[in-house]
Amino acid sequence: MSDKVNLTIDGVEIQAEPGSMIIQAAMDNEMYIPYLCYYPGMKPYGACRMCVVKAEAPTPDGSYRALPGSPASCTTPVSEGMRVETNTGDLVGLRKGIMELLISEHPHGCLNCHRIELCGPTDVCLRHVSVNDRCVTCPKNERCELKDTVRYMEMELTTPLTYNNRHLPLEVKDPYWDMDMNLCIVCSRCVRACDEVRGDRAITLMDKSGRSIIGTAAGTSLLESGCEFCGACIDVCPTGAIVERDYKWDKAVQKVSTTCPHCPVGCQLDLDVNKRNKVVRSIPNRQAEANMGMACFKGKFGLDFVNNKNRLRKPMVRKDSVLEEATWPEALDFVASKLENHRNGDYALVASARGTNEDNFVAQKFARRVMKSNNVNVSSNSRPKLVDSLQGLIGDDCATNKIWDLLDSQVILLVSANITEEQNVASVPIKQAVAKGAKLIVIDQRETELTRYATKWIRPLTNSEPVLIGGILRSIIDQSLEDHDFATEKCEGYVEFRNSLWDFDLVKVSAQTGISQEEIREMSQIFANTEASSILYGLETISDTHIDDTVKSLVNLSLITGNLDKKSGGIYPLFSGANQQGSRDVGCVPNLLPGHRPTASLGIDLTEISEACDSGTIKALHLIGDELFHNTASRSDFLDKIKATDLLIVHESFANEVTNIADVVLPSTLFTEKNGTYTNMEGRIHRLRPATGPKGDEDEDWRILSQIAARLGSGNLSYSSSDDVLTEITNEVETYKTLQIDNLDSRGHIRKPALNSSYLFSPIEFTQSEETLVNDQYPMVFAPGRVLFDADRDAGIITENDLNTITRREIIEMNEEDAKKAGISEGDAIKILGEEFELTGNAHLNGLHSGMVATTTLFGALIESLNNSSKPDPMSKIEGLKLCKVRIEKV
Amino acid sequence: MTTDKDNLRTKIQAAIQSQKRPTVTVLSSLLAIQDSIGYIPEEAIEEVAVNSNTSINSVFGVASFYPNFRFTPPGEHSVEVCWGPTCHLKGATEVLESVLEKLGLDSEGDTDDGKVSFRFNTCLGACSQAPVISVDHELYGNAKPDIIPNLLGSLHEKENHHQ
Repeated sequence: MSDKVNLTIDGVEIQAEPGSMIIQAAMDNEMYIPYLCYYPGMKPYGACRMCVVKAEAPTPDGSYRALPGSPASCTTPVSEGMRVETNTGDLVGLRKGIMELLISEHPHGCLNCHRIELCGPTDVCLRHVSVNDRCVTCPKNERCELKDTVRYMEMELTTPLTYNNRHLPLEVKDPYWDMDMNLCIVCSRCVRACDEVRGDRAITLMDKSGRSIIGTAAGTSLLESGCEFCGACIDVCPTGAIVERDYKWDKAVQKVSTTCPHCPVGCQLDLDVNKRNKVVRSIPNRQAEANMGMACFKGKFGLDFVNNKNRLRKPMVRKDSVLEEATWPEALDFVASKLENHRNGDYALVASARGTNEDNFVAQKFARRVMKSNNVNVSSNSRPKLVDSLQGLIGDDCATNKIWDLLDSQVILLVSANITEEQNVASVPIKQAVAKGAKLIVIDQRETELTRYATKWIRPLTNSEPVLIGGILRSIIDQSLEDHDFATEKCEGYVEFRNSLWDFDLVKVSAQTGISQEEIREMSQIFANTEASSILYGLETISDTHIDDTVKSLVNLSLITGNLDKKSGGIYPLFSGANQQGSRDVGCVPNLLPGHRPTASLGIDLTEISEACDSGTIKALHLIGDELFHNTASRSDFLDKIKATDLLIVHESFANEVTNIADVVLPSTLFTEKNGTYTNMEGRIHRLRPATGPKGDEDEDWRILSQIAARLGSGNLSYSSSDDVLTEITNEVETYKTLQIDNLDSRGHIRKPALNSSYLFSPIEFTQSEETLVNDQYPMVFAPGRVLFDADRDAGIITENDLNTITRREIIEMNEEDAKKAGISEGDAIKILGEEFELTGNAHLNGLHSGMVATTTLFGALIESLNNSSKPDPMSKIEGLKLCKVRIEKV
Repeated sequence: MTTDKDNLRTKIQAAIQSQKRPTVTVLSSLLAIQDSIGYIPEEAIEEVAVNSNTSINSVFGVASFYPNFRFTPPGEHSVEVCWGPTCHLKGATEVLESVLEKLGLDSEGDTDDGKVSFRFNTCLGACSQAPVISVDHELYGNAKPDIIPNLLGSLHEKENHHQ
């Protein structure tokens, strides 16, 4: 028996999910009921009344009883046998009345003007509306849902063109967007998107009926209202009330669906391209299963770099110590003639973090087959240990579950990851899960956005995380909370692992981590006593030497509680770089061949590259993109070292310090100009589609490499297109075999997981962390934090150059004992001195561990500096919140 | 300045904590604060948000919905004129005009010197005495426009015995 509900809409018999609203049932069956405030995925609201219908439901005696009045179809659930009429004469009249009420406060000369296709900006408006009210002065002209509705319904509006102007000033002082509340129809979609979907509640409905409008508390700036600048409110706004500032009035002549290059979530974005071939807008795709219509500040406002005019358009070759423009054949001949002498292992290639699977596959093949070197890597692979053990223990190196499975997790353990900034959209299901009652445990020294949502925020001593998780494991065993069946039947090595835990005496663990036994016990109870608990780890604050231990402990934790195979359980490694997963899959890493096959000899690690260049082990360095340079702590040192090479080849789109010292610069295309695929953190393969096409001589990286290979006498690197490369990948990489290249839409394709049939426990050791971050000159560890808003701290907004900026006295948290020794008391002005920065604030003495100081700044300040940045692509160059060594001084 | 603000926060927190009721809501907290300090300062919005585990924006949405919440400190004295149906029929309009003229106001609001807060009221509950006005919560029935100057004349000087 079908568990669906049968009903008829306008005489058509359809089926709907029980509990769904009439309007959703109609939409699912491709029928249209006009609406303005409804939005798929948000709770029923019923503000605009545009979706009114007539409905009747059967009674037990077989007759039909009409639902009273004209119910709104967005708030009326379907019922068995219901009959719905959506377009009777009464309803048309009712809707027309509602529309007339709406436009009594909204300029509407454009709504049913027949000249819309004919008018240009300089034409005199034949509708006799004032200049400010003309269609061409509305930023949402021809993208307006109000207008679409009127046109589609063919409403005969008889209202005069005058309207009650609210005369509210435009709000244009916040970064990235403009608000014109004179165009608002108070559907409150934006408020609901911010509240229900994003969980931020940065905007609200103010005042009461008649004067009610969208805004922030006491009219403050979005910079301090808790806004994460994700643009969700802009995406849902039906009118021109909230819009992006850049290219505000530009019309799209073309829409291209592609993949965001900023992080491993791989959001599907629909890019608007204008007639001058510029990418003017990015709107997240609602059908996409990776991002579900969500985006973040990077994907929404951080794509303008593709329009930057200061691009490298022509290849350049250094002749007599000067970089000179050259033609492609000249440059490629030069590269090939030079590379001929480096086919003996002194060559290294670092591919771009934004390289597609195709680029990176060809890159590793080029290095290995043509240059006979295993020194091939991708610049996002800065912390390979994050997943090496994961692969060894469970068979696969990517998230075991989908991002949006987190929605139904009951407990989410987040270890040292600032998701809101690094993998933003993955934080959305976490916040929604918490809103539904899930518990979130955050283990992090830094205060991040998600610590505000956490049931438990644990701040262990630096690098004691593996011991802490060992303590949780021990506590689980002590309290018999383990899933014994799963651990013994689905896994191997349980007994050895269990025996290794006897070292983890909670007294010792507590002393080592600074976390009380009680807390450890409580965490183990929270994590183990549920249906489904998931683990996410970024390990951003943990030193390289401890990452492997932490990963092993976390896998053990997932296995011992039997969560690895559960739908909303699982384990999620959080790396950076849009295509880190794909790069590993296609073997663009020094320790793996395509399809995760181990290499015979290990290539050189990313961190060793500059040293190897300096010592002469590497004489030819081939860099694609400049992210490697960005990730390196000491840049001038890095540049000096790579200068020592005989040959430095750089593929780049923009000139920078690395291209300045290169021997050959080859212009490469950006993500909006190429075909290819990315694989996201859940193993979902997404397509990139060219939105603009190259404007100069720049080319795709795989094609450049394949042409160099041809000149070096290697024919097996010639491909006709990127799909040609992808076909070879699907043949070589086991997990990609199921991929049907022609059927790759915005929902993507999850690659076949490579999970083992049985998982491995790994015995863990109680290690005393020898390594210290600090030295005599800088004796304290500094944990920087960043949150969206701080209700209990005074912040001021001042307006400079017509833009809002935040002014705030920072609070520096520190330990009471440390403060006493340094003669500091509560509220004193103190200064933090790091190697490369300085920060002043007032001391706040709380229970922080001795030897640590912490501050928490506002996310708005970051947005402010991104907005003011003059760099071509500032969004990709955000410094992570890293622990560092500092000393403190009293001011 | 800091100490003033800290004092304000302490008062606000005390008002929130003083609620002896099974369910403490955003609205009940706002009411308690207005009862205690007479208005809803920005700090109150923040404290209620922290206390109710919601955002400042949501609390402000609630506070701004109700006309009875005020966001600025009230004047030392309050004057209310009833303009409910009975008072209206019995000549509230003339009384109202006289009050506005005496206070130098156009509508609801505070006088320039911040001494007097004036509000309309829809019923003071003494219809038999209509028209009614209230000065510092003391009712004056059968009010005539000509008594107003005397009644309100001393307000600017005298201390409010209710505070």
